[in-house]
Amino acid sequence: MGSVVRSALKAIKEKGLTSFVRELREEGYLSALLDGNLMQTKIHNIGATLVGVDKFGNKYYEKLGDTQYGRHRWVEYASKNRYNASQVPPEWHGWLHFVTDHTGDELLLLKPKRYGLEHKENLSGEGDQYIYHSKGHSLNPGQRDWTRYQPWQPTKA
Amino acid sequence: MLGRLAAQRFREIRQVFRQIPLVSRSFSTALNYHLDTPDNNPDLPWEFTEANKVKVKEVLSHYPSNYKQSAVIPLLDLAQQQHGGWLTVSSMNEVARIIEVAPIRVYEVATFYSMFNRTKVGKYHLLVCGTTPCMLRGSRDIEDALLKHLGVKRNEVTKDGLFSVGEMECMGCCVNAPMITVADYSNGSEGYTYNYYEDVTPKRVVEIVEALRRGEKPPRGTQNPKRINSGPEGGNTTLLGEPKPPPCRDLDAC
Amino acid sequence: MGLGLLASRTLLRSGKIQPGNFTSLLRRCIVSTTELQNAEAAQAQAQPDTDLPKRSPVGGARVHFPNPEDAIEVFVDGYPVKIPKGMTVLQACEIAGVDIPRFCYHSRLSIAGNCRMCLVEVEKSPKPVASCAMPALPGMKIKTDTPIAKKAREGVMEFLLMNHPLDCPICDQGGECDLQDQSMAFGSDRGRFTETKRSVVDKNLGPLVKTVMTRCIQCTRCVRFATEIAGVQDLGMLGRGSGEEIGTYVERLMTSELSGNVIDICPVGALTSKPFAFKARNWELKGTETIDVTDAVGSNIRIDSRGPEVMRIVPRLNEDINEEWISDKTRFFYDGLKRQRLNDPMIRGPDGRFKAVSWRDALAVVAEVIHQVKPDEIVGVAGKLSDAESMMALKDFLNKMGSNNVWCEGNGPNPNADIRSGYIMNTSISGLEKADVFLLVGTQPRVEAAMVNARIRKTVRATQAKVGYVGPATDLNYDHEHLGTGPQILKEIAEGRHPFSSTLTNAKNPCIIVGAGVFERNDKDAIFSVVETIAGRAKVVRPDWNGLNVLLLNAAQAAALDLGLIPDSGKKIESSKFIYLMGADDVNLEKVPEDAFVVYQGHHGDRGVYRANVIFPASAFSEKEGTYVNTEGCVQTTVPAVPTVGDARDDWKIIRALSEVAGACLPYDSLSAIRSRMRTVAPNLLNIDERQPATFSYSLKPESHQETGTVPFGTVVENFYMTDSITRASKVMAQCRTLLLKI
Repeated sequence: MGSVVRSALKAIKEKGLTSFVRELREEGYLSALLDGNLMQTKIHNIGATLVGVDKFGNKYYEKLGDTQYGRHRWVEYASKNRYNASQVPPEWHGWLHFVTDHTGDELLLLKPKRYGLEHKENLSGEGDQYIYHSKGHSLNPGQRDWTRYQPWQPTKA
Repeated sequence: MLGRLAAQRFREIRQVFRQIPLVSRSFSTALNYHLDTPDNNPDLPWEFTEANKVKVKEVLSHYPSNYKQSAVIPLLDLAQQQHGGWLTVSSMNEVARIIEVAPIRVYEVATFYSMFNRTKVGKYHLLVCGTTPCMLRGSRDIEDALLKHLGVKRNEVTKDGLFSVGEMECMGCCVNAPMITVADYSNGSEGYTYNYYEDVTPKRVVEIVEALRRGEKPPRGTQNPKRINSGPEGGNTTLLGEPKPPPCRDLDAC
Repeated sequence: MGLGLLASRTLLRSGKIQPGNFTSLLRRCIVSTTELQNAEAAQAQAQPDTDLPKRSPVGGARVHFPNPEDAIEVFVDGYPVKIPKGMTVLQACEIAGVDIPRFCYHSRLSIAGNCRMCLVEVEKSPKPVASCAMPALPGMKIKTDTPIAKKAREGVMEFLLMNHPLDCPICDQGGECDLQDQSMAFGSDRGRFTETKRSVVDKNLGPLVKTVMTRCIQCTRCVRFATEIAGVQDLGMLGRGSGEEIGTYVERLMTSELSGNVIDICPVGALTSKPFAFKARNWELKGTETIDVTDAVGSNIRIDSRGPEVMRIVPRLNEDINEEWISDKTRFFYDGLKRQRLNDPMIRGPDGRFKAVSWRDALAVVAEVIHQVKPDEIVGVAGKLSDAESMMALKDFLNKMGSNNVWCEGNGPNPNADIRSGYIMNTSISGLEKADVFLLVGTQPRVEAAMVNARIRKTVRATQAKVGYVGPATDLNYDHEHLGTGPQILKEIAEGRHPFSSTLTNAKNPCIIVGAGVFERNDKDAIFSVVETIAGRAKVVRPDWNGLNVLLLNAAQAAALDLGLIPDSGKKIESSKFIYLMGADDVNLEKVPEDAFVVYQGHHGDRGVYRANVIFPASAFSEKEGTYVNTEGCVQTTVPAVPTVGDARDDWKIIRALSEVAGACLPYDSLSAIRSRMRTVAPNLLNIDERQPATFSYSLKPESHQETGTVPFGTVVENFYMTDSITRASKVMAQCRTLLLKI
């Protein structure tokens, strides 16, 4: 504990208090005070190896040895306040879920150039454009015609 | 290392695809449905010749009058001989008319049997046996030799319309394998022959083809001069003495 | 605490039962199965060979013993079952309550035995036997749940799935597919086939049947259906081995009026409905069991709807009417229900244009006009699709207005409704199977009533019954003798000068079918009296057999005659000033006078609308509850399957409302009230699903002094696919007309 405080004081001395606090926030230490998951991840990170960082900035850690098997790989999401599992790109998914021992960086080399789509996280429920409104929903205008028959059109006869 | 991994995977995938035969083997000479062509469409008139009409009557007389449809195979065969070895839609319709069934019932029979050809064949239709004994004795080489010599693909007619090569299932000559059959449609149903040439070699089949081209009739049966019919090469090797009588209970003993 | 428990406690306290019995009593309160209710039965069940649980036959299979001595006993899974001789093992299993999986076997088709799915083990038989083709023998011990039977089914299923594509998610049969269900029930969970699957070229069978031949499992049900029931020998099994495929060989459409039934009998998704393709999945649909009104047969159908839309129509089993088939018109006309619909009341303005108005205004206009004309000048015509309720209301209303000029189109200028046997099919449709000689007079059942024709064909095929036909040359799909075209032939038969007359006299159950097209002829009475003479000679009408039939054309006809919708005299339409067309489109509108006021009440903008002054939108048969009488006098009701469109209302309600506005209020305002009014006129109309046999007597029939004409009988239905306002609005029917009818 003492070493943590000492290194923190040292960092404040080097960078100044404002930039230290900003760094703390960016690294999610402030969020971790309220977010137990993040706090646990941060604690878990101590002594772990950083295996890689993907293009979104998610950090992948591994800790062998005394860690329980099956809990020895984890991810610290880039986004500290809004994170979910769909932010992991497919190349890292296999490594993270123990499907393969090849890291995402290695697997990225095998990604076909022609049709590989950019990974996008699942944005369901994140705003109007990501919500499906059924036909007839008040937020889905223009699709409210429920007429399923074609009426006879009176022509001049 | 990754490159090697990828290359190995690629090789594996290619291996899988290679195992799938690219050309499926078909024993019949045509598709199972009819496509109109100038020489094969339902509008073309087709009739049995006068001589064959007599034969039709003879064939029909083999069957009871309420079971005329039993004559479908002999009549189709006759129609095929008359029409140069293959059946057009109109010839099948004519057979259906004679035996008084719906045309589809005749089509069913004609598509079922691979010896009814529904596309054009050569005047000499050469059929190579492809069943196991013949195949073990080299029928593939014989077919290759024929195809190479004639310059055609299987079930394709040569440019002069004389030859076509097809494959057949076992024709019961396994003892003289490999063998080919020559169906001779050059003289209509009168001069129709269906001869077996057995114990053939890739060299010998080419000779046979050339002889046929010259209009000769090569001797049918075994092509191995040292054999007589199905007998072993160079004379019998077993059963040389008098056959022993069957063992019988001594009737006097009891 | 349940009430039962409370009750039992009370009983226990009062000492009525022994405490030892308490557990069994408790069980009685909870379990509803009778076997478990008393301890003795449970005891008996525990001992296996004393008594086996009763099993009920699968799918309502019925056992009929034509000859009681021929009953044999077989054992299905140890359960003894008595069956008549000649039944197959599969049928025996069905009666014993064991459902055998099958693909090629169909109870109404011949036995093929080529799918091998119905393999069962029979004791002392070295191999599993195909139960559909194996006759049951006395004392046979059939085992359907042994490891051998299970393995056989799994093996067969693996073979069937070998070449079957895995496209269930995009297959229209998905969810109602026999192969899907049976592979779930009897199949293995994996296959060993690793090669590529076979693919087959799709065939074009016309605008109704979609083919995906790769899915075909070669059960040949469609081939057998086409050959045996539809009577068009178009389909066949071509090729052999793995190259085997169903097809027509030459390019050919399936020109049968029953072709849609191959969709139902196909156990996989090889033959599916083209108009229904990719429209809905079957589990989204709501089924409504109703009847069909496009012809006078009244086929039993199920309307499958999703929301306000009719998605498809499928047949319903009714052994007495349509068995399990329906005609293509019945099956595919439903898209007409969505097109050309009248949804608002409309009034034709002075400029000749229609304007949508409210019901109040439209009714007021009509009520005003009807009071301005003389009662004698009021005419009402009920259409082909009218239900009995609305016809009753129309007749009552016009009677109240002082006119009795009400009739139903198709019944001719002066119909005879006095004797019921004179306008219905007395033999009944299923009774046609007992006939051995048919005489068709001026009727082409194949286009007029396809299901009746299918029944005649079934009879002809089964018993080699003879068919004589009088009328224009037509293509009946069974052997028939074309006797002639005009009524003169009938006279010859009646006088015994014609060779067919002896055929008729020698017949055991002769049957004469007169087409309803005769109603429109001027010499109608004469023709009927000639037919009756023939009937008298040939003993067509006996106490045990009434073979004198009239084949009606429209769904409304029989009910109209039952209700007495008969005009006072013919030629009324020319002198009328007020015409009420209730869905009548085939009235000769040329004859309507220029100054006549025409009210058209109907559901489709069809012929009648263009002459109308006021349009009342009504609901179609799929949207209302109505009573219909079919050609054999069987009363059936439609059931609303979908909501009606726009402002449309039920026919009888419109007339009821109009009567109130016109000041001659009809005394009924509910369906049951109008039905009790109908009971006073024609009590038989309330006996749903019952055929009331008509009494028949010659003496009742008025003697006709009319001479038969020489005009040959005409073709009544020119176009099978478009006969009424709904079918004329249907696009699919229009396609069928152009592609399938050889003109």
